[in-house]
Amino acid sequence: MITEERDELIERAARSLAVLPPANHAVVMGIVQAARAHRRARPSLVTQFTGWMRAPSLSVASATMLAAATLVIGFVSGGSFNGAATAAADRGGVIRGGTTLIPAADAGADSRSVAVPMLLDAPSAKSVAVVGDFNDWDPTATPMQRFGGDGPWTVTMMAKPGRHLYAFMVDGVLTADPRAPKTKDVDYGGEASVLMVTKP
Amino acid sequence: MNEIDPSIPLRARAGDEKAFIEIVEFYYPRCLRFARNMLGSEQDAEEAVQDAFTRVYDSFPRFREDARFDPWLFRILANRCRTSMARSRRHRSMIEYGEVAALSAAAAPEEEFGADWAEEVRVVLETLPAEQREAFLLRHVEDLSYEDIAAVTGAGLSALRMRVKRACDTLRARLEKVER
Repeated sequence: MITEERDELIERAARSLAVLPPANHAVVMGIVQAARAHRRARPSLVTQFTGWMRAPSLSVASATMLAAATLVIGFVSGGSFNGAATAAADRGGVIRGGTTLIPAADAGADSRSVAVPMLLDAPSAKSVAVVGDFNDWDPTATPMQRFGGDGPWTVTMMAKPGRHLYAFMVDGVLTADPRAPKTKDVDYGGEASVLMVTKP
Repeated sequence: MNEIDPSIPLRARAGDEKAFIEIVEFYYPRCLRFARNMLGSEQDAEEAVQDAFTRVYDSFPRFREDARFDPWLFRILANRCRTSMARSRRHRSMIEYGEVAALSAAAAPEEEFGADWAEEVRVVLETLPAEQREAFLLRHVEDLSYEDIAAVTGAGLSALRMRVKRACDTLRARLEKVER
């Protein structure tokens, strides 16, 4: 058992770091207005698309449809594939971790962003989410949905062109994508996967 | 710990714009303090705080009625800081000297502690691994309970206690040298 240690030296160090910056009403209102403007500019297509993918009535058979759709999406992207993991609809219905990229057709102010369908085969998992620098590693931001009882976990998310680090949160455990290149997440010591998003 | 009236986040979640302004006014100083201490850069800290509140505003539908607001907010902010660190690392390998001076001038902790000592605390803080710095700041500066820090970081209680202990050990060892 590790006991709490807060001696005089640590107390002083903490107090020197605890000085609060002054509240600034103009800055506060700037933050509020920027938040409002950001909400107005959010893309609408992705919401509809992910909403379709998350529909609870979809059956196992729908996974096949999804896989086929993913192939079409990949074709539309004109080759904008992540170098590691691509949709596996052509592998006898076996879909493992992977991504494909499509252009964001209606992305408003975030028109540079690209819709990225994510897939992961994790048959025994109870919950899976995608975390990465595109969603601030927030495990609640991009939950994945499963098709049928043992289908793949899927979700479509938005990411700007460039290099991103990501991982899957599988039952609360950070797990690198088995099919993508891996790198060290130097800030937090874990293993992350690399996603290259190219311009549509 | 100084928490906001729990009814205010619920009003903001329901679309009350005044409630959101109250939240930003209430938490802005604490959020900026955490981001400054975490990132060591005034500009990065301000951006992280701005982004965090934008995400809060967008994410209110996911804020549960029975949840406490502080851990939820700090989880979003801590994640923004993490993203900012990753981005900054690509552009520079270490904090610029001028920014340390600007931070000290803005917060002026040296009035109470002495400029050298306050700056040494910041310098040591910068050398800590990010996960130790984060845990130390949340526990000893933001005064969150270990349960709340677990909600913020997603780490287990034992791991968090170990991170805080190691951060304290490093700080103590370095600051004792300064004291001599």
